[in-house]
Amino acid sequence: MFNLALKNILFYKGRSITTLILTFISALMFIVYVSMMDGSHESMLKNALKVYTGSIEIYKKDYRDIGGNEYLITDVQKIEKELDKIEGIDTYTARYETYGLLSSSTQSSASLVAGVEPLKEPSMSQLKVALVEGEFLSPTSGNCLYAGVDLVKKLEAKLGDEISFVGAASDNSFAADLFKLCGTFRTGSFSFDASSAFIARAYFDELMMSHNKASYINIKVHDLNDVDTINTQISAKIDDSIESLTWKTLMKTMVDAMEVDSIFGYITISIFYVVIFFVIMIFGFINVSSRIREFGTLRCIGLSRQKIRTLLFYEIFILSSIAIMIATPIGAYIAYYYSVHPIVIDGMSEMYKDYGIISDEIPFSFNLFTITWNISVVYLLNILSILYPMAFINSFKPVEAAHHV
Amino acid sequence: MFKLILKLAWNNAFLRLSRTLLVIIMIAVSMSMLLAIQGLFDGMAYNMSDKMLRSDSGEISIYHKDYRLNKIIANHVTDAKTIKAKLEQDSEVQAVVTRFSVDGLSATARKSSFANIIGINLEDEEKFGQFSDFLKKGTLDFKKRGALIGGELAKTLKVKVGSKLVFSTQDKNGDINSIALRIRGILRTANVKLDTSAIFIDAVRLDKFLGIDKNIATQIAIRTQSSTLQDKLKKDYPNLSVKNFLEINPMMQMMEDSMVIFNSMIFVIVMFVVFIGILGVMYVSILDRIREFGIMRGIGMKYSHIRLQIILEALFVGLMGYLVGALFGFSGLYYLENVGLDLSAYADAMESFGYETILYAEIKLSYFTNTFYAIFTASLLSVFLPLRKIKKMHPIDVIKADT
Repeated sequence: MFNLALKNILFYKGRSITTLILTFISALMFIVYVSMMDGSHESMLKNALKVYTGSIEIYKKDYRDIGGNEYLITDVQKIEKELDKIEGIDTYTARYETYGLLSSSTQSSASLVAGVEPLKEPSMSQLKVALVEGEFLSPTSGNCLYAGVDLVKKLEAKLGDEISFVGAASDNSFAADLFKLCGTFRTGSFSFDASSAFIARAYFDELMMSHNKASYINIKVHDLNDVDTINTQISAKIDDSIESLTWKTLMKTMVDAMEVDSIFGYITISIFYVVIFFVIMIFGFINVSSRIREFGTLRCIGLSRQKIRTLLFYEIFILSSIAIMIATPIGAYIAYYYSVHPIVIDGMSEMYKDYGIISDEIPFSFNLFTITWNISVVYLLNILSILYPMAFINSFKPVEAAHHV
Repeated sequence: MFKLILKLAWNNAFLRLSRTLLVIIMIAVSMSMLLAIQGLFDGMAYNMSDKMLRSDSGEISIYHKDYRLNKIIANHVTDAKTIKAKLEQDSEVQAVVTRFSVDGLSATARKSSFANIIGINLEDEEKFGQFSDFLKKGTLDFKKRGALIGGELAKTLKVKVGSKLVFSTQDKNGDINSIALRIRGILRTANVKLDTSAIFIDAVRLDKFLGIDKNIATQIAIRTQSSTLQDKLKKDYPNLSVKNFLEINPMMQMMEDSMVIFNSMIFVIVMFVVFIGILGVMYVSILDRIREFGIMRGIGMKYSHIRLQIILEALFVGLMGYLVGALFGFSGLYYLENVGLDLSAYADAMESFGYETILYAEIKLSYFTNTFYAIFTASLLSVFLPLRKIKKMHPIDVIKADT
C-alpha cells in the first residue's frame, strides 16, 4: 500500500505539489507566528519580573486588597529563617514601601518611596544595573535617595540636591525628612521611572519605625519552572495570616492580557488554516474524483474499503511528512535565530510606554514542545482533509466505480 | 447566443455539485471569518481612538509650548478662556473645552498613589465628548467636594463611590497644599493615562485650591471636522503648541498603520489561497470536459464563446461563494456590532490596556467591496491557465484528447 501511495504521489504531480506547498507554508507560518507571539509575551513578562517584581512575594493577608500599616509583615526575621530552609530559593529581600510627596526646591511629585537592602537588591532586581548617574545605595549611604530619571526630571533636581519627603510612618505618625539625591536609574518602564525612589533600609527603618517590618518579602527562585513547588513549601511554613503569591497571581493582569492577545492571534491564524484545509481537501477530492475508475478496479480485484482508506491516508501522510520535514527545521531555525537576535523596532518602547512596554526588541521563543504541537496541528488538519474524499470514494460500489465516466 | 452560453455556464458550474459546493464553502467560510476579524480589529481601534478624542485631546489641542515636555503649573496657556471664547465663535469649531491639570499624590487612609487632578466644567465636557458615557458607577456631579476618578486609579486606591481621599500637590506658590475629596463617580474612558491616574474635579474648585487665575489652562481641546483649522490656529497662536490627535497620540497612528498592514497581509494571503482553490477546481472541471469543448468548437462554436462560458462558470462559482460569505460575514459582523464579543473574564487585563470588556465590531462597506473585487479577480484569473490549454489545442485533438 505504501509503495502504491508513493507511486500515486509521483503520478498526480499537480495535487502533490499543491499539497506540499500549502502544507509547507502552513507549517512554517505556524511555527514562526507562534514563536513570535510567545516570544514577545515571554519577553514582556521577563522584563516586568526583572525590573522589580519578584517571582514569589510574601504578604500579610489583605495587604494587597486593603493595604495600610495594619497589614505590614511584623516579624520579618521569623519568615526569613523559614526561607533559609527551603531549597531552590536563590535569594530574598524584605522591602518596606510607602507613598509620599517628594519635593525639590522648585517642584513636588508623588512617589513610591521604598526602603531596600542595598546588598541584596542587585541580585533581585534591575535597580543597580539601571544606574544612569551617581551611585547605587549602600548599607551606609544614609539619607541617599536613588530615584527614577523621569521622577528626577519632574522634580527638576540634580545629583547632590536636597529632596524633602513627607509621608506617614509605619505607626501612622507623621514622617518627614531631607534626603540627598545620590543616584538616578532608568529601567525603561516609564511609570516606574517616573514614580519610584529608593533609600537604604537601615536609614529608612529609623525614619519610618519599620524595624523587622516589611510591606512584603521578595523572593528570587533558581528556576522559574519550580515556582509553584517552592510556593507550596513556603505556604506550608508560614502562618495563616501570611500569604505567599507567585508571579502568576502578582501579574495576573499581564498574564490575562497575554492570554487575550494569544486568543486573537490564534483566531487570526486560524483563517489561514481553514482556507488551506479546504484547498487541500478540494485538491484531495479532485484527485480521488479523477481516480474513481482506478479505485473501482482496485476494489474489483479484491481491495477492501479499509485498504482504500489506508492508501489515501498514506498519500496524505507522505505528502504532509515531506512538507513538514522541510518546514520544521527552517521554522525552528528562524525561531532560534530571532530568539538569539531579536527583531528591533526603534521607538516602540517610547510609543507604548503607557502600556508597560520597556524594550524595542521583539524576541522569538524557541521551544521544541511548542514546535511539536504546531506541526501536530498541521498533520491533524491534513489528515482530516482527506476524510471527505475517503468517504466519497468508498460510497461507490466496486462495479459502479469501475464503469464510472 | 449569450443566453445559451449563460445557461450552459450556469448548468456546468453545478455539474459536479460536491466539488462546487466545497469551493463555495471554502470561499464563504474564509470570507466570513476574514470580515469578522477585520470588523473586530477596526472596531477595537475605532473605539479606542473615539474615546481618546472625546475624553482628552479632541481633534486638536492647544498647550503652552513647553507643557507636554514639562507638565508644571508654570507652563500654562495664559489667556485660555479668551481663546476659548474666540474659538466658540468659529464656525469650524464644534466644541471646545479648557482644562487645568496638575500631578500630585492621592491618598486614602490606607493607600496612596500618584495621581493627576484635572479641573473641568462638566457641561462643557458633555458637549465636547458626551462625558456621561464614561461614567461606570455613581453620579456625575461635583457637589460637596465631589470628584470623579479613573477606574484603574480607583482600583489602586481601593476606593468606591462615597469614599474619601486627599490629594496633595504644590500650589502656584510652590507650597504643599492638600484638598479632601469625596468620590462621586468612577469613570472608564479607555484612555489608559486617564483611567490610571485622573481625578476630575470642578474647574473653579481646582483654581481656588492651586491659587491660580481662572483665565488660565494647561490644555484647550477642540472638536472639529476641519482639516485646515490646525494650520489656521498655528498661525493665530505662534507661541503656543497646536497639535492634532495623531501628533498627541503617535501610538494610535502606529497602531492604525500596523492594523492596515496586518489586515492587508491576511487579506492578500487568504485570497491567494482561495485563488489556488478556485484554480484547482476550474482546471480539473475544464480538463474533465475537454472533449465537450472540442465538439463545441468542431460544430462551429467560436473560441470566444467557449472562453465566455468558462469565465462565466468561474464567476458563478466565485460569486455564489461571495454571496454566501457576505451573508454569513454580515450576520457575524451584525452580531458583533450589536451584541459584541464578551471578554468579561479578562476584564482587568482589557481595561488596563484601555479596551472595553465587550468588544464591538465595525461594519464598513469597503469590507464587502474589497472582498468582491478580490474574489471576482481570483475567479477570472483561475480560468486563465485552462483557457490557454484549450486555445492551443486543435478541435480534432481536443475531441481525441484523453482526459
